[in-house]
Order: sequence, then structure tokens, then C-alpha cells
Amino acid sequence: MSTVEKITQLSHRIFNTSMNEQNTTRTSNPFAASNFQKNILTEDVFESSKAKESKNVSFTGNLSAGSKRIYSTFVGSLSDLGNRFAEGIENIVALGRSLKEGFVNAWNKIQEIGSKEVHIDMEGAKSILNKEVGSFDGMKKALSMDVTSLFVKPKEREIMKLSKMDPHTEVKPMLTEALAALEADMVMVA
Amino acid sequence: MDKNSMRNNKNFSRVSNIIESLAINPSPDSVAVLEEIGTNSSIDDVREMTSKALVRRNEFDSLSVVIANRGKGINDMSTVVAMSTINELLSLENKEEAMKILENTISSEGFDEEVKENARSVKALMALS
Repeated sequence: MSTVEKITQLSHRIFNTSMNEQNTTRTSNPFAASNFQKNILTEDVFESSKAKESKNVSFTGNLSAGSKRIYSTFVGSLSDLGNRFAEGIENIVALGRSLKEGFVNAWNKIQEIGSKEVHIDMEGAKSILNKEVGSFDGMKKALSMDVTSLFVKPKEREIMKLSKMDPHTEVKPMLTEALAALEADMVMVA
Repeated sequence: MDKNSMRNNKNFSRVSNIIESLAINPSPDSVAVLEEIGTNSSIDDVREMTSKALVRRNEFDSLSVVIANRGKGINDMSTVVAMSTINELLSLENKEEAMKILENTISSEGFDEEVKENARSVKALMALS
């Protein structure tokens, strides 16, 4: 079959779509419900699994890969394929783009959230742990302190210190000296 | 020197701290130091503090100094010192020792009549409190 004949056949198919439509099960094509079921773009990245299984049921005949490429070129060059086809393509492209963007965004979000959560958790846990350890240490220190030292004023501290001294040898001289100084102050004031 | 100036004096604080320390010092020698130095001081406030410290010790020796000695504690020439000592005696939680000494002072022949009279008055006050 010459190339011209093949093109004629293909044209016949394109413009009499209802005659040649066939339900094709596609396993690898996520857009199986779209207009690609008309097998217009046979050179597309999506390939029918059914076409692989039953080569005989091809309405384009046993087209070689080279022929398919030619048909695709031909179809691509047609400017009057109609709005339906163009819209379908656009929709698919838009869908693909939005899917891709959605997936990328979702992935980025997951990554972001995941890394954030891990970061916050680690830092938060660390800071909480440090705080807890710090407060525990402080509490331990406070509890290990002599309780009286928390309330004792300098005056009381001095009295406690003096009360442990020997009255005759240590305290008596100090008292005598302090009294003499006080009496001297009183004389000065008088 | 007035009372406020006295209380703010650095040396007065020092004397006060030493007397307070002797009031809680467990050594019995503290009483001797307080009697020898504190109760013989020319300063009323020092004698007052010393008498109170001796009462707070609540021991036979320390209470005897402020109850049965002429010119000391309840028998001090200064009314303020005497009244402060009596007030401290009345504030004691355990008055048993003080009452014993007061009774001994009243009934004993070896004390001045003035000392006995003061002891009698203080004993009456303590019995009522």
C-alpha cells in the first residue's frame, strides 16, 4: 500500500469517527477516558495494550512505525481538526500540568512539613529537656541547701556565728571592746 | 544620744549581737560574761538587753542574776530595765524555774527587803498571768 493510499485511509477514519470508534482498554494510559480512544495519535507516548495484543484488529492496517510517524505528522499538520480535538488536547495538557504542579506542590509540602516537624520536635524536645533538667538541678540545689540559710538575715547569721564561740576567751573580749566603742560614741554625741 | 540614734549606732548593733549570741550560747560561762559585763554597763539599753538575755536562757543561774541580785534585772535602778525584765519573765512559756527562784528569794533570809518585795510583786504578777 502506498503512502498516499494509507493517508487516504487515515483521512477516512478521521472524518468518520463513529464508524471506527472502538473501546480500547488501556493499562498504561491514565487518560483512557479521553478522546485518544479514537487512536488518532498513534505515535503518542501512550500506547494501547490491546493494540499490542491484537495486531489484526487495527483499523489502520499493519502500519509500520515509519508510517505511523507520517500519519502523526499529517494529523499534526491539519489545521481544521475541530475545536473538540484542540480542546481535548488543551484539557489534557492543562490536566497534566495541574496534576504535575499539584503533585510537586504536595511533595514539597510533605517535605517541608516533614522537615519542619522533625526540626521543631527535636529542638522543642531539646529545649524542654534542658529546661526540665535545669529546673530539676535548681530544685535539687535548693533542696540540698541549708533551709535556715534561705531565711537568715546577716544579723541572725552573725549571732549564730558568735553563739558558737567560747564565752570567756572569745566573746568576752569582743563584748568589752564593743561596749567601750559604744560608750565612746555616746560621749562624743553628748 | 537618743534611743533612735543609739539603735542605729554600729557599735550598739555589735553589742546587741554579742549579747544575743550569749543568750543562746550553750556554754554556762555565758551567764558569767553577761553578768560581769552586761549588767554592770553604764548604758541602760545594754543592761536591758542583758537582763532580757538572761531571762530567755531560763536557767537557775541566769534567772538568779535578774531576780535575786540588788541593782540588777527586776531590781535595777532604771524603771525601764526593771519593767522590761519583768515583762520578759511574764513572757516565759515555762515559768517553773523562775517561780522557784522567786519563792526562794521571798522566803530566804539572806536577801534585802527591797529585793524580797520586788520578788513578791513579780511572783504575784506571774501567778496571775
